[in-house]
Amino acid sequence: MRRYLLHFVCASLFLSLSISCSEEQNFDQFDDLEVTPLLASSILYIESTEDFINTSSVSGAFYSQTVNFDAFNEQFVSERLLEGIIIYEVENTTSKSINFTVEFLDEADNVLDVETFSIDPAPSGVLTREVAYGPAGKSLDILTATSTLRVTGSNLSDTTSTSSEPEPKFIFKSGAEFLFQLK
Amino acid sequence: MRLVLPPFMAILFGLTASFGQNKQLLYDFYEIPQSLMVNPGVKTMERWHTGIPLISGLSFQAATSGVTVNDLFANDVIDFTTKVQERVLNVMSRRDDFSSTSQIEGFNVGFRGKNRPDDYYSFGMYGETDVIVYWPRDLAILAFEGNGGPNIGRSFDLGDLNVRGEMVNVFHFGINRKMSNTLTVGARAKLYSSVFQFQSINNTGSFVTTQGEDNIYRSAIVADMELQTAGVEGFVDVLEEDTSTTRKDLTSLFTERTLLGGNLGLGFDVGFSYNINPQTTITASILDMGFIYQSKDVKNYTLSGSAITEGITVFLPEDVNDLDNDLWQQLVDDIEESLPYEENDTGYISLRPVKAYGSIRYDFGQGESRNENCGCAINVVSASNQEFYRNSIGGQIFLIKRPRGIQPALTGFYQKRLGRAFSLKTTYTLDKYSLTNLGLGLNFQAGPVNFYILGDNLLGYQNIADSHYASLQFGFNIISWNDN
Repeated sequence: MRRYLLHFVCASLFLSLSISCSEEQNFDQFDDLEVTPLLASSILYIESTEDFINTSSVSGAFYSQTVNFDAFNEQFVSERLLEGIIIYEVENTTSKSINFTVEFLDEADNVLDVETFSIDPAPSGVLTREVAYGPAGKSLDILTATSTLRVTGSNLSDTTSTSSEPEPKFIFKSGAEFLFQLK
Repeated sequence: MRLVLPPFMAILFGLTASFGQNKQLLYDFYEIPQSLMVNPGVKTMERWHTGIPLISGLSFQAATSGVTVNDLFANDVIDFTTKVQERVLNVMSRRDDFSSTSQIEGFNVGFRGKNRPDDYYSFGMYGETDVIVYWPRDLAILAFEGNGGPNIGRSFDLGDLNVRGEMVNVFHFGINRKMSNTLTVGARAKLYSSVFQFQSINNTGSFVTTQGEDNIYRSAIVADMELQTAGVEGFVDVLEEDTSTTRKDLTSLFTERTLLGGNLGLGFDVGFSYNINPQTTITASILDMGFIYQSKDVKNYTLSGSAITEGITVFLPEDVNDLDNDLWQQLVDDIEESLPYEENDTGYISLRPVKAYGSIRYDFGQGESRNENCGCAINVVSASNQEFYRNSIGGQIFLIKRPRGIQPALTGFYQKRLGRAFSLKTTYTLDKYSLTNLGLGLNFQAGPVNFYILGDNLLGYQNIADSHYASLQFGFNIISWNDN
């Protein structure tokens, strides 16, 4: 009896441990893994008082600045950029008609793309624009080649009038949501 | 052989480093000398024993409380990314972990004192690797989904990063003393020789992107994170040199570290066995109460601070004279200054994972006398000494201190003894890894040669890739029983 029990137990353990089985595994599947996060970030915010705009000459630029912008042309980013949008919001509570442009420049200062915003005096509400890049929009090459942004704000009205709005301002907002292929 | 040995050692020391550490089959299995290693106060019966070097005690455990290998890599037609999304990202929590532990005994010797036969001394050396990685849930979601779209407003917990691992060689010496016919106590001192250690266990912080106050988005990060490493850089340096002597250099460094040339620490174990009555025994032990002072080959990485950004901001007229066109780089620099990433070589103390066992055992089924070669001269209690019982049944509890708290396991067991030559123990264990963990252990004595094999979670062997837990221990010893 003891011998049978011993044989049984040994056989059970041996079977369990040695003849254990496993479903077929395919570890090559890991190559198919796609990691594509959607990343969101603000880009540029410009706010100007009406008093400052009034200091500019008629039809002249009250602000012009060239801003180094390498966010998209870093190799790690440019190689993984799939698609996305840049969101602009422009609000004008001044008494001026404002023209605002954003130019995308490459390293040689060539203009790759331009976004122009013409906004009437208050009350003109908030102008919102979403510009798509990638398969359903503009070429991603614009972004990946962009090294500099040139922003220009121009007053298209007089330099003396003042808005009846409290704290009249011109506000430019921009942000981006882009899909990246991390793997 | 030289080609085979390094990978073999890597498997032994490396892969096995993720087991749950619970040795419920070995615990209180006093016919096996290695049971002294999980309770220095276990009842001992041998006159002396010696483990056969390198094969006296090998144990490997691997565990996952979340996804299994089969869940992800089964050869089915389901898209792999979908499987990761549905079976990992949507399901696993920050308390889920992947863990591994292995132990290899270099040698293990025990002998009874000539002048004090109630004392049983044991000493030896074993290597242990232990790694636990908690699932970094929020960081994984951030990597897979990003901070945009539906995750605007979601706060990602940087404290989800929690990992600890080490390889250590342990020299130990223990004393097991029979205090009376009912009480046996024991203690073991340990000297730890660390091969390497790393830990990132006290991280706090968050990253959140919300609607901006000025601009469209506002991203805020608060972080107090640190990865501490000791002994890692030395191996990395050797590997990066990649010369014809790399293998030799690695072996030399490994040998040096295992033989007290690395960071050192101290620890101890204590335990007891107490017979409440001739048929009922309670036992308990606490293991690895110790530390290692990591002072050599230390490299720590820190990320500490806070930053908030809404992109490049220009306020007119205040910033009209700021004509520097490098505003983007200035923004990046400002963030890096507020949230500096730094490295240092400050030593630190690493604590060993403290473990505790407790058990109650009821013996029944009185068998024939085992006075012959059984050690009864030492452990004799009476004619109804529990060693004369063929069967035992009882329960055990196991606790281990993990980075995220104490992790318990409950075990019920039945043990059968068929003379001195053969005994078996079956267990059913409940823990975070499995609710169906059935284990079976065998101890076989052929003359002086002792062999044991203990296998856990046997149901998991039906499809080992789908198992949440796998554990195997085995070893050979030479045992001399008391000959009086």
